[in-house]
Amino acid sequence: MTAFRVPIFLRGKVIEDDWVEFGGRGSGRTFLAPDPHRWAGHLPLGSPGDLGDLHAVPFAEILDVLDALGQALDFETNPYIRQAYEAGLVATNYPASMLAQSYVALPLVFAREYVREMAESTVGIDYLDGWVSRTLRDGRELRVRAFGARSLHVPAGNGGIVSAVTIIRNAITRSDAIVKIPSNDPLTAMAIARTLADVAPNHPLTRHLAVAYWKGGDVAVEEQICRPEKIEKIIAWGGFGSVKHVTRYIQPGLELIALDPKRSASIIGREAFDSDTTLREVALRAATDIGVANQEGCACARVIWVQSGTDAEGLARINRLGDLIYEALLALPDHVSTKPRSFDRDLYDHLQASRLGGEDWFRVIGGDNREGAITVSQIDEPVDYAPLLSGRVANLVPVDDIERVTAAVNAYTQTVGIYPESLKRTLRDTLPLFGAQRLTSLGYACHVATAMPQDAIEPVRRMCKWIVDETCDPAVVRPMWRSLDAAVA
Amino acid sequence: MTEKSVAAFMDDPMGYFDRSVTKMHSLPRAELEALQRAAMARRFAQHRERIEIVRKLAERLGIDALHDFDDVVPLLFPHTAFKSYPASLLDKKRFDLMTKWLGKVTSYDLSNVDTRGCDSIDEWIDRLDEQTPLEVITSSGTTGTLSIIPKDRAGAVYTMKLWRLFLFQTFGREPTADEIDPVVDVIWPNHASGKLGHLRMAAMLKREFTGGDETRFHALYSDAISTDLMFLASKMRAAASRGELDRLEIDPELLARKDEFVAMQARRPQEMAEFFTRLTRELAGKRVFMIGAYNLMYEVAAAGLERGMRHVFAPDSAILTGGGMKGFVLPANYMDVIREFLGVDRIQEGYGMSETSTLNWACDAGRYHVQPWIIPFVLDPETSEPLPRRGIQTGRAAFYDLFVTAHWGGVISGDEITVDWDGPCACGQTSVHIAHDIVRYSEKQGVEDDRISCSATQQVNDEAVSFLSGFEG
Repeated sequence: MTAFRVPIFLRGKVIEDDWVEFGGRGSGRTFLAPDPHRWAGHLPLGSPGDLGDLHAVPFAEILDVLDALGQALDFETNPYIRQAYEAGLVATNYPASMLAQSYVALPLVFAREYVREMAESTVGIDYLDGWVSRTLRDGRELRVRAFGARSLHVPAGNGGIVSAVTIIRNAITRSDAIVKIPSNDPLTAMAIARTLADVAPNHPLTRHLAVAYWKGGDVAVEEQICRPEKIEKIIAWGGFGSVKHVTRYIQPGLELIALDPKRSASIIGREAFDSDTTLREVALRAATDIGVANQEGCACARVIWVQSGTDAEGLARINRLGDLIYEALLALPDHVSTKPRSFDRDLYDHLQASRLGGEDWFRVIGGDNREGAITVSQIDEPVDYAPLLSGRVANLVPVDDIERVTAAVNAYTQTVGIYPESLKRTLRDTLPLFGAQRLTSLGYACHVATAMPQDAIEPVRRMCKWIVDETCDPAVVRPMWRSLDAAVA
Repeated sequence: MTEKSVAAFMDDPMGYFDRSVTKMHSLPRAELEALQRAAMARRFAQHRERIEIVRKLAERLGIDALHDFDDVVPLLFPHTAFKSYPASLLDKKRFDLMTKWLGKVTSYDLSNVDTRGCDSIDEWIDRLDEQTPLEVITSSGTTGTLSIIPKDRAGAVYTMKLWRLFLFQTFGREPTADEIDPVVDVIWPNHASGKLGHLRMAAMLKREFTGGDETRFHALYSDAISTDLMFLASKMRAAASRGELDRLEIDPELLARKDEFVAMQARRPQEMAEFFTRLTRELAGKRVFMIGAYNLMYEVAAAGLERGMRHVFAPDSAILTGGGMKGFVLPANYMDVIREFLGVDRIQEGYGMSETSTLNWACDAGRYHVQPWIIPFVLDPETSEPLPRRGIQTGRAAFYDLFVTAHWGGVISGDEITVDWDGPCACGQTSVHIAHDIVRYSEKQGVEDDRISCSATQQVNDEAVSFLSGFEG
């Protein structure tokens, strides 16, 4: 039995035809979608010139439409959002309380002032809305404008916010988007698109959005889309596999903007142990970084380095912190974190083993009921199974010397939550050399804002085509056709 | 059923069943299960006392004694139990701590083992061989770890004797003297030695099957696969997946042996040619025992056929194969190719785990029959709760091996099996039987398995050698 249907949104039209069945991640999660082999050829924009209509829309109007769209995405009343929520209950690992919360928060992302801030800080509204001029040293007048591009988006499925951000970025850059739906968030992008069509029927923003599902890696579908004459950019989020497979289409004229797999860590300085009150606050902050969205996000903390010391006293300190983090983790409110719906079996076995022969080196707190756990290393090394940490399981690692924490980061590290602020200032000029991309206050790792660079790149600037218009007056800028002598004379 | 007969059944099943395969697999089920229950209670009591991690787990779970089969399920070990030490102990060459850890997972006392001056994993294992009853086997995973299973020498010798029974006897016929004690040439299409699970077997085969004449053991490659090199390969895979390949530290001792490894690689084509020459000149028409995973068997057979060799051995030779197919694509007719090359009547297949004492052999109907001293379980793949021991059940395979003494015999596999608990098998054996198609759950889910399979050893070894070659030695 199929749980739900995923239509195609085609620039304002909704295609509900040619249904074929797809299996979602995990068992028993099948759904219907129109046959992508039949529809793939219809997804790309007919001609690059068709983006002209969107470039004629003033930026203020784009903000108006997005703001109205946000207000219409009401969790209580919007039927498409309701469908997305219900499909999410089947297709994702999130429990109902957390899934509902993600939709309740959705309208805010579209609010005028947030979108304006995002546009201003990630591109610059002047560049989006027209030509920005300056004069160069040689006298030429330069004007630069950020144009939109025809793009394929492959968003990650861990939370509807990624689909929302994708659609907003597409709108503010005046781009044309084909959004490939992730199987573990089947209807959020669709709900936003259909609401957009209701709020702004036939508006250029509506006409430059297509949303469809096909199985990632289906070459027969993707080869009809991923060609330089159809699109100019691919924006791919998420897992190693999904980013890796789109690289096959990259060629001159078709660029990849990769927001590839990331993991995050935390670093806690010795100041955490200054008083019991401080320690409890640090524990709550660390528990939040671990537990938000049940650790499904790339920003969630997994290995936590603690400057507790590794002697007997140091171990006693870090073990106490481990107990407090575990307590705080279980006490997080339901819309933030719950007992996970599923738990990695291999990880469970590793926790058992750490308890059973590994107890000289590791202390496991909790985990018997697959509710989450804290493994406290009793040596200054993470567990060998650190890459498996998930389902609210974190590993605390004691260190004597803060220099040791460069081990916390590598090329795949995104966020590092740090306590206290003074330690962050000490580390911020060296950690990025080893791989960290975002340093934040402990407790805010998953509290992500959209008005900043992401994964150490500026994806929104890269989504634009940066076009130059220059004026060179021969009286001012020496022409190449004139001989050097004449110029000197 | 007396105490004495239970002890004989679990400590010397070959003696208990008069070394007859037919007797082993003809016991009425109720009689067998009564024996198994009694033996289970006995073995658990021994291991609870002698193996630290069994005692700890039992205490944690509040289990004092075992009565019914399902009572042992919470005590079955996941594969992680044999790698619960931090892998950095191997990097730091803390073989004293490794020995202490190993002491917790084996029934033997290792407190007097001298590891001073030990500077490689292979050397440490050699010390254990010399100073203890153990003959540990290792297997490398993809998370940068090495599983170490504390098997003992006595068990290994016994296992080979069991193999012999199953290789040369036929169910339903009382064995002849020749079937009980044959001496054959052993063909081993693999490296001649090593501490990895399947390579350890080489020495055992040599001991057991050639009647003491080592010239009758024919390995494809003359040298060993280094455990230290396999550990490096495992660390490489883990580092690559973490984006930390640039930080991998290479043990200088291993780097110093780089040229040796490269030379060994270079020698391989020559050794393969010599191997085939030996097969045709010395072994053609002889009764042999040849063993290898499907892919190795196929490679050798295809290469042999290409050299114009077919029906090479005597038809009453023993051939044993098995193993996973992951990462290899064999043509649909691979068994025909193997048969054509060997010219042998019967090709036998076995299914087992490194943690159990022996294989469960496939019958003529293609079903694996569980040995009487091994209690099989089919578990819910997610929760590990036991499925009912009746009807036909598909789920995660688990076994409690009553014969294993050096370590705890209860283990949960990564395999999906289908057991027919009640239906009789067409072959006439009364034992519990498992359907031929067995898949690893990781393969089914399309995820990376944390195990470098024995059939992938060569490939992984080569990766490590080529990685080493990039460093200045």
